Amino acid sequence: MKTVTLLKGLPILALMVMLSSLMPLPASTQVQSPETELPQLVYFSVKDYSNQLQVLKSPIEVDFKNIPIVEALFQVAEKADLEIAFDSGVFSDDDLVTLEQSRLSLGETLEHVLKDTGYEAVITSSRQIILRERVVEELEEDELMVDVEGQVVDAETGEPLFGVTVFVVGTQTGTTTDDEGRFTLTVPDGGEVLAFSYVGYVRQEVPIGDETEFFIEMSSDVAMLEDVVVVGYGVQQRTEVTGSVSSINAETIQDNPASSFENALQGRLAGVNVAESTGEPGAAPQVVIRGTGSISAGNDPLYVIDGVPLSQNYNQQGSIGSQRASFQPPRANPLSTLNPNDIESIEVLKDASSAAIYGSRGSNGVVLITTKQGRKDTPPQVRFRSYMGVQTPFNVPELMNAEEIIDYTKDARNNTYLRQQDPTNPSSPFYNPQYNPDTNAGREASGATGNHIIPDAYVNWDGTDTDWLDLVLDQSVLQNYDMSVSGGSSSVTYFLGGGYMDQTGIVEGSAFNRFSLNANLNADLSEKVKIGLAMNGAFTEHDRKPAGAPYFGTPPGIIYSAMTQSPVVDPFNEDGTYRQLEGSHNDLGGATTTTNHPLAVRDYIDERIANNRIYGNLNARYEILDNLQFKSMVGYDLDNYQRSYYQGTQLYYRGGDPRPFGQSSSAQSFNWLWENTLTYQTAFGEDHRLDAVAGYTVQKQRDERNSVEAQNFPDDQIKTVNGGQVTNGSQFIEEWSLVSYLARANYVFKDRYLVTGTIRSDRSSRFGSNNQTGVFPSASLGWRVTREPFMADQDLFSELKPRVSYGVTGNFLIPNYGSIGLLGSSNYVFSDQTVSGTIPSTLGNSELTWETTKQLNIGLDYALMADRIYGSFDYYISNTEDLLLEVNIPAVTGFTRALTNIGEVENKGFEVQITSRNMVGAFQWSTDFNFSTNTNEVKKLGNEGDPILVPGAAGVRHITREGDAIGSYYGYEVVGIFQTQSEIDNAPVDLEGNPTPGDFQFRDVNGDGFIDADDRTILGSYHPDFTWGMTNRFNWRNIDFSFFLQGVEGREVMNLTARHLKNGEANFGSYAVLNDRWRSTEDPGNGKHPKAERASGGNNNRPSSYQVEDASYVKLKNITLGYNLPQSLIDNFAQSVRLYGSVTNVAISTDYIGFNPEVNLQSGSGLTPGEDYGAYPLSRAFQFGIDISF
Amino acid sequence: MVNKMNRLKTLLLVLPALILVVSCGDDFTILAPQSERNVENFYQSDSDFRVAINGAYAGIADNNLYGRNLMLLHEMRSDNTFNGGGATGLAESLQRITRFDELPGSTELEDTWAGGYKVIASVNTILSRIDNVDFDNPSLADRIKGEALFIRSLVYYNLAVTYGNIPLQLEEVTTPNVEINQVSADAIYDQIITDLDTAENLLPASYSGDDVGRATSGAAATLLGLVHLTNGNSGQAEAALRRVVNSQEYDLVPDYLDIWGASNENNIESVFEIQYKSGGQGTGSGFTEYYSTDLSISGGVGGGNVPQGINDNLLETYDENEDVRFETFGTDEDDLPYLNKYDASQSIAFDSDVNFIVFRYADVLLMLAEAIGESPEAYDLIDEVRERSGLTTPSATLPGSFEEILLLERRREFVGENKRWPDLLRFGVAPQVMSDFLSDEGFTPSDIRLLYPIPQRELDAAPGELTQNPL
Repeated sequence: MKTVTLLKGLPILALMVMLSSLMPLPASTQVQSPETELPQLVYFSVKDYSNQLQVLKSPIEVDFKNIPIVEALFQVAEKADLEIAFDSGVFSDDDLVTLEQSRLSLGETLEHVLKDTGYEAVITSSRQIILRERVVEELEEDELMVDVEGQVVDAETGEPLFGVTVFVVGTQTGTTTDDEGRFTLTVPDGGEVLAFSYVGYVRQEVPIGDETEFFIEMSSDVAMLEDVVVVGYGVQQRTEVTGSVSSINAETIQDNPASSFENALQGRLAGVNVAESTGEPGAAPQVVIRGTGSISAGNDPLYVIDGVPLSQNYNQQGSIGSQRASFQPPRANPLSTLNPNDIESIEVLKDASSAAIYGSRGSNGVVLITTKQGRKDTPPQVRFRSYMGVQTPFNVPELMNAEEIIDYTKDARNNTYLRQQDPTNPSSPFYNPQYNPDTNAGREASGATGNHIIPDAYVNWDGTDTDWLDLVLDQSVLQNYDMSVSGGSSSVTYFLGGGYMDQTGIVEGSAFNRFSLNANLNADLSEKVKIGLAMNGAFTEHDRKPAGAPYFGTPPGIIYSAMTQSPVVDPFNEDGTYRQLEGSHNDLGGATTTTNHPLAVRDYIDERIANNRIYGNLNARYEILDNLQFKSMVGYDLDNYQRSYYQGTQLYYRGGDPRPFGQSSSAQSFNWLWENTLTYQTAFGEDHRLDAVAGYTVQKQRDERNSVEAQNFPDDQIKTVNGGQVTNGSQFIEEWSLVSYLARANYVFKDRYLVTGTIRSDRSSRFGSNNQTGVFPSASLGWRVTREPFMADQDLFSELKPRVSYGVTGNFLIPNYGSIGLLGSSNYVFSDQTVSGTIPSTLGNSELTWETTKQLNIGLDYALMADRIYGSFDYYISNTEDLLLEVNIPAVTGFTRALTNIGEVENKGFEVQITSRNMVGAFQWSTDFNFSTNTNEVKKLGNEGDPILVPGAAGVRHITREGDAIGSYYGYEVVGIFQTQSEIDNAPVDLEGNPTPGDFQFRDVNGDGFIDADDRTILGSYHPDFTWGMTNRFNWRNIDFSFFLQGVEGREVMNLTARHLKNGEANFGSYAVLNDRWRSTEDPGNGKHPKAERASGGNNNRPSSYQVEDASYVKLKNITLGYNLPQSLIDNFAQSVRLYGSVTNVAISTDYIGFNPEVNLQSGSGLTPGEDYGAYPLSRAFQFGIDISF
Repeated sequence: MVNKMNRLKTLLLVLPALILVVSCGDDFTILAPQSERNVENFYQSDSDFRVAINGAYAGIADNNLYGRNLMLLHEMRSDNTFNGGGATGLAESLQRITRFDELPGSTELEDTWAGGYKVIASVNTILSRIDNVDFDNPSLADRIKGEALFIRSLVYYNLAVTYGNIPLQLEEVTTPNVEINQVSADAIYDQIITDLDTAENLLPASYSGDDVGRATSGAAATLLGLVHLTNGNSGQAEAALRRVVNSQEYDLVPDYLDIWGASNENNIESVFEIQYKSGGQGTGSGFTEYYSTDLSISGGVGGGNVPQGINDNLLETYDENEDVRFETFGTDEDDLPYLNKYDASQSIAFDSDVNFIVFRYADVLLMLAEAIGESPEAYDLIDEVRERSGLTTPSATLPGSFEEILLLERRREFVGENKRWPDLLRFGVAPQVMSDFLSDEGFTPSDIRLLYPIPQRELDAAPGELTQNPL
C-alpha cells in the first residue's frame, strides 16, 4: 500500500518504547531499533483518513497552550492510550504548540501538533506512534496562494461548530475552526477541494473553485437519524416519517448468529414480540406485532422481501397423520430459507398509517426485508464470513434424583394408605401394628389398594440413579459459511452471495441445514431506463425428532418421555439394548404410569422436511420526466415442500405394540406478482415538497399438496410408504388472487410540517362475492418542532417530532374458500338403488370479508444533546372489528354455524425506544433500549357473546370471552393449602374433591359456599404485560464488546407437564420443587406445594392456578467480544478481518420451572396459547466467528 | 442500440395501457375450490341438478325429519303413546314431549327446525339456479322444479304444524346475515298452496324404473288437499283430493298388513313414501327402532321400556276380533303392547330397509271424506277404508258425530304414521283429548301446548327477530 511504499528509504527515527500509562515526563530517551525489524511493521499515516483504522478516527480531548512539542506528543499519546517512540532530539524545547479544548480525532490532533515540524506521525501495527519526515515536497514560498475563509455550523441546529478540522485535500494545509466556527486558510496552488472533518459528523468535501467564502453545514453522522428507511413501495427520510416504523440494520442482525432473521429481531424492537417457543433447529419462532388481533384468522405479520409480499404457506407443511392436532410438531420456519447475512435492513411497519399501503394484509404489521445490493463505482468487494460453535442444553429443569423420588413415592403411597385405611389407629379395621413407612410389611396388595404398596424398586433400591434428560440431550455443533461479492461499475451493480449453514440439534438426529444463493443485479440501460433482478434461492433440510409432544403422543415426545421416567429405572438391558420391550414401567415393580423409552423414540422415528424456495423479482424503471418514474416489477415465489415421516416397528408404544406408520407429503406453491407504480417527486416554491406514488398490483398463488399415509409395516427395511399398506391419501389444490390499487402522498411544508396520506383498495378472491373489494385509507401528521424558528435558540433538542396517525388495515389470513359454500354427500334411494345426492354442508358467505383493524398512533421522535440520545415514544390503540368467528347463525339459512365477521378485539400499548451514546471518543459506549406494553381485550364475540371454551392439549383450560385477553387460562384458583381439618370444615365445601390437610384450598369465586365448575376463573394469559430489550455496545481501539439483555414480564405459561411431573401423585418422574412439599402441619414446606398423595382426595391435579406458572424472565441473550485485526497484520491479505466470539443464551432468571418460559405447544392456535407439554429445549451456543473483507 | 432503447421505452410506456386491457377483470378474483364440491361450480348441468334434488330427498329422510324427529313430535305427542321416560338425553326429551313441558333448548326441537330449513335451503338453491341453466333435457328441469316445490312444501307443512309462526325463506341464502321473515302458519300454507299448484302440473303421475319413489302429481295433490284442510278450505281440498282419486293411479292394498315391509315398497296404495335401504351406507331408516321390542338392537330409549309405549286407550278402540289392524300390535316379553307395523328385523341398529309412508291412498280417501263433510259419500269413503280391515258395520250407523267417527277411524288406521297430533290439531280437539288422556295417565299438565316452542338457539342467533310461542 501507499504508506509502505513511502516508508521505504526513509530515515526512521529511533524508536523508543514505553508504556504510556506509566510514562513519566520524558527526558531525552531513545531506543535504537534494529533496522531489520522494520519491514515487519505496517504503518498507517495519520493523514490517511480514508483507511479503516478506527483508532485514528477516535476523538481525543486535549488542552494545552504553548507547551513543547515533545510534551504535547506525550500528552496526546497518553490520551490515546498508545505507545509513542521518537527521537526527542529533533525537537527543541522552544518549539511550542497550542491546542486548546480540542476534541479532534487522534489523527487530526497529531497532524495539528506536528504541522510546522517537517515530521508526520504514523502508527504501527503494534499500536505505536512513530514519527518520520514528511515526504511531500515543501511548497515553494513564491507559489500562488489563495486565502479562503468561512464558517462551519451544525446542519440540524445551526450552531457554530468549534474545532472542526479544515484542510485542503492532497496537501498538508489545514486548520481548525474557532469558537464561532470560523476558519481562515491559505490554499496552496493546486488545491482544489476543501475537506471538513469533525468527530460525530459526516465528513464533507467541497470544491474550492473561485469561491473564497464558505458556509458549511455539517450533519451528525448518527446513522439512525439520517438514514432513509424503506417504507412500502418506496423509501423515506427517517426524519420525515410520520408513522411508526422500526428498523434494524445488517450489523445488528449479524451480531447475533442465528439460523433465521426472526431470532435477530427478538427483543430489539419495541412492539415486535418474537417468542422462541421451541429450540428445534429450523422451527418457526412466533412474531407478533403489537398484540394478537385475531382469534381465528392468522396473527403473522406480512413479510415483504425486496418488494414482493410472500406467503408463509404454513398449511403447505401439512401434518403428521398419526399425531393428534394439538401435538403436531412445531411448524417449520418458512422464512428460514433466507440467509440472515444477505439482509441489508429490516423495517417493521407497526402502525396502521404505515401498514395501510398493504391494505388487507397490513393488520398484523408488515416486515419489510431488503437484501444487499452492490454499489456503483465500487471495485469488487469480497466478503467471507464464517462461524462455528457448540451448543449445549439451556436452562435444564431440576428433577428429583433417585433418593428424592423414593422418598416422594413412599410419602405418596403412605399418605394414601393412612388416609384410606389408617393402619396406625387401633380402632380401625385395618389396624396394622406392622406399619412401617419404609417397607411393605403387612400391607395388602389387591385392587385399588395397590396404591398403598410401595413399588419394589423403591423399597429395595438397587442404586440406579438415571438422569434421563442427560441421556437424551447432547452437545451439538453449528457452522456457517457465507461468501459474497459485490460492487459496481458506473452503470451496473451486483451482489452475489452464497451461504451454507449446518446446525445439529441437542437431541441427536435433529438438524437443520441450508444452502442459499442470492443475486441482486441492477443495470442502467440508459439515463432513463434501468432494470434490476433479484433472486434468492435456497434449499433447506430439516431433520426432526419428535420433541414437542407429551409422553403419550403418537409419536411421543422425547423430552417429555425422558422427564416422566423414574430415575430408579435403568435405561438399558444387560446386553445394552433399550429397556423398552417389556413395557418400560413394569420394571419399576409398581403401578406407575407407562411411558416411552426416549432413546427408542429418538432412534425409531424419522422425520424430514426438505424445502426448496426460490423467490425474487425482475423490474424495469423508466424516467418519464426528471421527477416522474414508472416502474414495473414481476415478482415470483416458488416454494416446494417434501415431508417424509416414519415411525418404526421397534418402538414399543408405551410398552405396548409398535404402531408403524409412514407418511409422505409434498406440496408446491407458486406465487406471482405484477406490480406497476408511478412515483412523482416535486418541490414547488421554497416551502413545498411532494412525493407521491401510485400503483396497480396483481398477485396470485396456487397451492397444491398431496399426502399418502401407510400403516402395517412388517419391518423397517423400507421406510417409505411403499414398505407398508397405504391407508390414506389426499390431494388439495387451492388458489387465491388479489388485485390492488394503491396511492400515497407525502407532503412537506417548510421542512417541518409533514403530512402523509395513503389509500389502497384490495379485491381478493378470499372474500365473499358481495364484498370482494376493500378500501384501506390512512393519514398521518408530523411536526418537526425543532425546525421552528422559536426553537433555534435551544440546543437541548436536536429533534422533536410529535406525530399522529390513524388508519385502517385488514387481515386477509382467512381460509381461501371460506366464502364459498361446500357441498356434502347426501345419498338417497330410488327403486331400492342408492343414488348420489348432495346437499350444501357449509354456508357460502358472500359477505365474508377481511378483519378490519383501526389504529390510532400517537408518537414522538426525539433526539437530545446533539443526538447523543435519541429514540421514540409511541402510544397506540387498535381495534380489530369484523373478527372472523364461527358462530351460531339462524337455521333459516339452512345452516347452524357459519364463518362470519363478528367480534372485536382491542390492543393498546406503549412503546419506548431509546438509543444513547453514553461515551464517545476513544472509548465508545452506546446503549439501545426498548420497552413495550400491550393490553389485549376481547370486546365482542358473536351475537350472543358466548365465551369460547376450546379444549387444548389437556381438556378445556382456555377461555376467550368478552372483557379478557384472547385465550386466557381458565380453571380453579388455589388460595392455599389446608393445614388442619378445622380449616377444611370452615371452608366452602369442595364438591369436586374431598380434601384433607395438605391438599389445596380453592377459591369460591362466586361465593355460594361451594367449590364447583362455576368457580373457574381467569388464571392469567400468555400475553405479556411488557417486554423489553437492552443492548450495550463498547468499542475501544480494535475491540468491540456487546451484551444484550432481554426480558418479558407478566406472561404466564400453562404448564401441562405439571399434570404429571408436579402432581403429588408420584406416578412419574418429578420436578424437584416438590421436595419442598407439605409433609405435615408442623412441616408445611414452602407453602406452595401440596402433600404427596397417590390418590389425592383433594383433587389437587384439577385444572388450577397451580399449573399456571409465572413465565416472566430476564435473559442475558447474547454477549459478543470482537477484535479487528490490525491492518498491519492483514495488509497484503485483506481489507479487514474481524474475529469474534459470542455466547447466545448466556443466562436466564425466571421462576418458570420448565425448560423455556416462552414455550407454546400449539403456536399456530390463537385460542390455546402458552401450553407446555414438553418442547424441544433451547440451547446455549458458544460461537467463534471470522468476518473477512477482501 | 438507440432503436432498441426506444423500443424498450415504448414497451415500458405501453405497459400501463396493457394493464388496463389485461386488468384482471372480476373473474380474476372469482375462485372456487378445486378439491371439494361447492356451490360455486356445481348446479351447471342436468346431472348436477339430479344429484342436488336427490340430496333434498335424503334431507327429508334424515333423522331430523321423517327418520325420527317427526315421529317424536307428531306421534309421541299424541294420545297414541305414552313414555315413562328418563332423566337425561332423549329419554328425558320424550317424557317432556309427552307431558307438554319440552324445553325450548331441547336438541330435538333444534334439530327438527334446523333439519327442515336445511332441506328448504337446499331446495331454494336448486330453484334459484335452475332457470339459469340450459338443460339437455328440458322436461327434466320441470320435473326437478316440481320435486323441489313438493319437498319444500312438505317440509314447510311439517314445520308450520310443529312450530306455528315460522320464518318464510324462499330464496337461496348466500350470507349468514339473512333477514328473518317470521310469518303466520296461514301465510306458510298460502305459499305451500301456490307452490303445489305449480308442482302438481310439473310432476308426472307416476314413475317407472329407477325413478320410482320420486314425488308425483298425486303426491302434490294429496299434500295440497291436506294443507287446504288444515287451512280450512274444504272445497279446494276436495277438488285436489278428487284429482288424486280420479287419477286411477292408486288403490287400497287388499291386506292391511301388506302395506309395510321391505317387500311391499311403493305399492299401489303408496302416494308418497320415504325410501330407505340398509347396508351401512347411511341410507337405512332408524325410526323403526322406536317401535321395536328387540332392545338388543333398538335404541333402548326410555329406561328399557318399549320406547313408544302403545296406550291401552288406543287398543281399546279396536274391535279385537274383527279389525285386522289390531294384528299390527303385539306384546313383548313383559306383556307390554307394541306396534309391529314396522317390523324390521335388521341386523344393524338404525339401519333398516323399511320405508316410511308419508301419504297413502287410505289417507286420501279419509281426507276426501273430511273435505266433503257429513254426507253419504263421505260415509262411503270411510267405509271403503273400514271394509279393507274387515269391519262391516256402516260408519253412518256408528255412535258419535261425523267428525268423531272420522277422527277415530283415522286414529286406528294411521297409528305410528305421524298423523295423530296434526289430526287432533286440525279437528280442533287437541286440548280436550290430551287433557283427558293425561289425566287418565295420572298426570295433570298445566297447559296443552298447541305449538312447540321455537328453539332457543334460533332466538339467540337472531336476537329480537323471532317471537316465541306461548310456553
